[in-house]
Amino acid sequence: MSSLVASAKSLLLLEFMSAFWLSIKYMVAPKVTINYPYEKGPISPRFRGEHALRRYANGEERCIACKLCEAICPAQAITIEAEPRDDGSRRTTRYDIDMTKCIYCGFCQEACPVDAIVEGPNFEFATETRAELMYDKNKLLANGERWEREIAMNIAADAQYR
Amino acid sequence: MVEAFFEWFPTTWLGMFFGVEQTALFYFIAIVAMILVIVLPLLIAVAFTVYFDRKIWAAVQMRRGPNVVGPFGLLQSFADGIKLFLKETIIPSGANKVIFLLAPMITFTLALIAWAVIPFGEGMAVANLNVGVLYILAISSLGVYGIIMSGWASNSRYAFLGSLRSAAQMVSYEVSIGFVLVCVLMAVGSLNLSDIVVAQQGSILNWYIWPFLPIYVIFFISTLAETNRPPFDLPEAEAELVAGYQVEYSSMAFALFFLGEYANILLMSAVMAILFLGGWYAPLEALDFIPGWIWLLAKTAFGFWMISMVKAFVPRYRYDQLMRLGWKVFLPISLFLVIFYAGVMMYAGWLPK
Amino acid sequence: MPTLTINGTEVTVDAGKSVLQACEQAGVDVPRFCYHERLSIAGNCRMCLVEMERSPKPIASCAMPAGDGMVIHTDTELVKKSREGVMEFMLLNHPLDCPICDQGGECELQDQSVAFGSGDGRFSENKRAVEDKNMGPLVATTMTRCIHCMRCIRFSDEIAGVEIMGAIGRGDHTEVVTYLDGLLDTELSGNVIDLCPVGALTSKPYAFTARSWELKRHPSIDVMDAVGSNIEVDTRDGAVMRVLPRLHEDINEEWISDKTRFAYDGLKKRRLDRPYVRKAGKFEEATWGEAFAAIKTGLKGAKGNEIAALVGDTADMESMFALKGLMNSLGSQRIEARQDGAALDAKIRASYLMNTGIKGIEDADYLLLIGCNPRSEAVMVNARIRKGTVKNGLKVGRIGAVADLTYTVEDFGDDASLVKAAKGGRHEISKALKAASKPMIIVGQAALAREDGAAILKMAHDLADKYCISEGWNGFNILHTAASRVGALDLGLTTEEGIKGLLKSAKTGDVKAMFLLGADEFDSSTLADTFTVYMGTHGDEGVKHADVILPGVTYTEKAGTYINTEGRVQQAEKASVAPGDAREDWTILRALSDIVGETLPYNTLSELRIALNEAVPETATLDTLPEADWSDFGTDGDIAKTPIVPIGGNFYQTNPIARASDVMAECVSVREGATEEATGTNG
Repeated sequence: MSSLVASAKSLLLLEFMSAFWLSIKYMVAPKVTINYPYEKGPISPRFRGEHALRRYANGEERCIACKLCEAICPAQAITIEAEPRDDGSRRTTRYDIDMTKCIYCGFCQEACPVDAIVEGPNFEFATETRAELMYDKNKLLANGERWEREIAMNIAADAQYR
Repeated sequence: MVEAFFEWFPTTWLGMFFGVEQTALFYFIAIVAMILVIVLPLLIAVAFTVYFDRKIWAAVQMRRGPNVVGPFGLLQSFADGIKLFLKETIIPSGANKVIFLLAPMITFTLALIAWAVIPFGEGMAVANLNVGVLYILAISSLGVYGIIMSGWASNSRYAFLGSLRSAAQMVSYEVSIGFVLVCVLMAVGSLNLSDIVVAQQGSILNWYIWPFLPIYVIFFISTLAETNRPPFDLPEAEAELVAGYQVEYSSMAFALFFLGEYANILLMSAVMAILFLGGWYAPLEALDFIPGWIWLLAKTAFGFWMISMVKAFVPRYRYDQLMRLGWKVFLPISLFLVIFYAGVMMYAGWLPK
Repeated sequence: MPTLTINGTEVTVDAGKSVLQACEQAGVDVPRFCYHERLSIAGNCRMCLVEMERSPKPIASCAMPAGDGMVIHTDTELVKKSREGVMEFMLLNHPLDCPICDQGGECELQDQSVAFGSGDGRFSENKRAVEDKNMGPLVATTMTRCIHCMRCIRFSDEIAGVEIMGAIGRGDHTEVVTYLDGLLDTELSGNVIDLCPVGALTSKPYAFTARSWELKRHPSIDVMDAVGSNIEVDTRDGAVMRVLPRLHEDINEEWISDKTRFAYDGLKKRRLDRPYVRKAGKFEEATWGEAFAAIKTGLKGAKGNEIAALVGDTADMESMFALKGLMNSLGSQRIEARQDGAALDAKIRASYLMNTGIKGIEDADYLLLIGCNPRSEAVMVNARIRKGTVKNGLKVGRIGAVADLTYTVEDFGDDASLVKAAKGGRHEISKALKAASKPMIIVGQAALAREDGAAILKMAHDLADKYCISEGWNGFNILHTAASRVGALDLGLTTEEGIKGLLKSAKTGDVKAMFLLGADEFDSSTLADTFTVYMGTHGDEGVKHADVILPGVTYTEKAGTYINTEGRVQQAEKASVAPGDAREDWTILRALSDIVGETLPYNTLSELRIALNEAVPETATLDTLPEADWSDFGTDGDIAKTPIVPIGGNFYQTNPIARASDVMAECVSVREGATEEATGTNG
């Protein structure tokens, strides 16, 4: 009997109809997604977006070429070369991040003893060519200047949990 | 329609101005013009169809769908088209070059030429064939060739398996589509699509969807299989075959496949409207003042909406289930229905003279 | 032989050993900073505190002699607490600037604070800061990091023998300084970098360029002198980043000279990175094919012995062997390795080896230096002699020029004929040699490179025969200055005429074509009219009159076999990547042999080494001190009563690599500057 009911149901497409009805209901329901390019969701202070190299307030680069980020990077996306600057301080001559290798794990900013390399709140850095994703020191420093206000706020907001 | 146009045009002031006579050249130019009148709106319609497909799918999933390019994202399809057009056509090194490039052309062409027999209104068909239904069956059967050729020429196992699946699937479901058509033909007594529509003249109650509801359901589901739409999109099942027979295609070759596919879906929706939903007739005779082709368009859109909705809520079939449904369920049922309707019509004397 | 219990295990140690050594023997690890097994015991870091039963407080294990019946614990709460306390004190004034410190990653303080520290400090006052000291161009100082282990001071006092470092001030004001903030003037100064357990003393040329974890380590052999110091070449991306010593008790212990350690920047400068062919007096860049074709054309007129070859000081066995093979197949036997013209005899192996061995110096009780200055010719040998004088009461006498060797030397004058007098028996040298139970003599190249070198060699032989040969003791030693020399002599790369004769023949046209295998230590102007092919690494003396230049590789860029002055065979690994088109020398010679139609019978390095082992059986035994048979050698003759003139030039610039090195040049200029300063002209 039950098999008869089941085949009758399937023959009359009852499940199909109820699913159709449900779909129609959802179709007219309000959207749950945001209208992305025009509105954006909130971002955590810990959000790990595009990388940036920061400077101190007096304009001095923070990065001291300790190479801890390079060492910890699981994707080996970071390449650093260093030598003594004219004033004898330890600075990078090259700081490259291959953003195509990067997995945005955030280990670099965790490893950084001076908060120089950070993953900022920017996630809209798509490029037209692959080459543009090979970030060099100038690009990273420029990012740092552009996002410094947000980055500083985020670090301050997260500081109490560290 | 064509004949009427040929007789009418030379009598107009434009025709007189050009001094057009009923020459071979005039016929040629007129036919090409007519084809363009059908094809250009059709291609634009296809573009919007893709857009609506994505929109409907997104809506059911409570997403927004494309909404950036143009107002409400209406130009999304054109942006995609331009992008595809600008991309490089990659031909695999092991591919059979000629067949590889021929396949999408065939698919696209076949999807378009079937539209020749679709009547958009009283006498408004490019070719008012008296065997229109057979023509459509023949053309849609030929569609398998495009797929088989692409699968074979790609020299890729994914593409090959996908095309094999597709061929088997299309052949299987054409059988039940054929029986479905037989039922309708028995009621009309003509293979001419215009005649089929005329037979449903009157209000919504005269439409064939009511007497032939089971047939309509079978036709609808078979249409999904015939056009490789979900839940029967096994030939291009992403999880198993990447993109099936299209896997090696890029750029315009891929675009042709894509356009052909959607043109086919629209065609089947239009055929559904003609066979079961009264073609160009308004649901109520009071609404007849609205031109017939708008009604046909609306009905086609409704058919497409159904197809699109199905994609949103039905999970994909397994291949053996697909075959079982085609041969063990639809074939016996449609066969039975042919006999059943024939018997009823014979008994009641409803057979056309 | 006291027996003591360490963590419940009984262990018996030699008398005089410390508790720390006993712990090591028992396999118990004791942390330490100031203690170093080759230095005297200071006991000032207190990191090695262990608990001894019946002692009221923990003891410094490095300074406590092991006693019979001691019961030592290293795993108790008290030991843990005292280590944590010591570590906390250690870190009071340590700046924790590990991210900018070159020691980071290989720092004993880092490691031990992770292993033994408490992870917390209670010091909240300001840390002290110490002004950095100037220790010359090699050692960078960050004295704030210093933890006052005094290893560097003890090293310079005891091993290097220059009493130039010390600590001034007390308690919090203690500072490690050099005397009057002067240069750390020793050829061993680089070793204080290795000794420093923290980053107070770091390498200046290496500063900030790499991290220890980025480096690939390659065991290698030094070619700056004939000692064959064991080194580790650290590379990153195929480039040499630094050179470190590798422990070898019989050769260099764990020290190396500054030239060995810091000349590596010369590997990247003035390099020949592609073949050149001289056209109309000017070098033009060429491909290998063009260069080989030019050689083939140049060799056309030359038959057999009209072709000659000179071997340089840093060549490896493989390339010398390939050169010999090529020359022999061309029909020439004229290959000369003795660029300084020393009258060495290739026939008897004992005549050109340091038969006693470097470690043997420690056993000797009298040493006579004849015309050699080990401090500049072989720093590690000098360090060993100093060790002998300090540890074993070795007495050193010298015939030759006076120079400071960091230990007391009895000078007998620099007259070469003193050798003859010494043999006589009445001279005080003879008396000293006779009185000693294990006397040894070291003959330098300065004595042998004289006109009467062969006679001096003979006389030295007779002298050794008379006093220095006994059962199990061969006190006759030749101190070479070139890493390739012993190997070349083993291969028999000598000619009757010597280098002077060869160059004269080149002038007269008797030699029409000349191959130079990295030979740069002679005046090449005599080769102006000879067709000269230079195979080497640097644009140095040898290329000046070359017609074709073939770029070879340096010692870090090839796997090579070297035989040091003791006759010890050692193999080096390939560490770095050669620049440009440069190729390993033996492969160049192999390819060239194809061009001239005399193909050499080996295609791979292993095939070459098998052939080499057959030709020179000594090369089959790696890293052992050979026992060469003692027999007669040298030529009788008169020894002129003239002073032995020192050779070798400046210690820092003895070969093409060192001459190309900016660091070595700075070492030289700093020392010149120091003398200028002394005159008061610099303010």
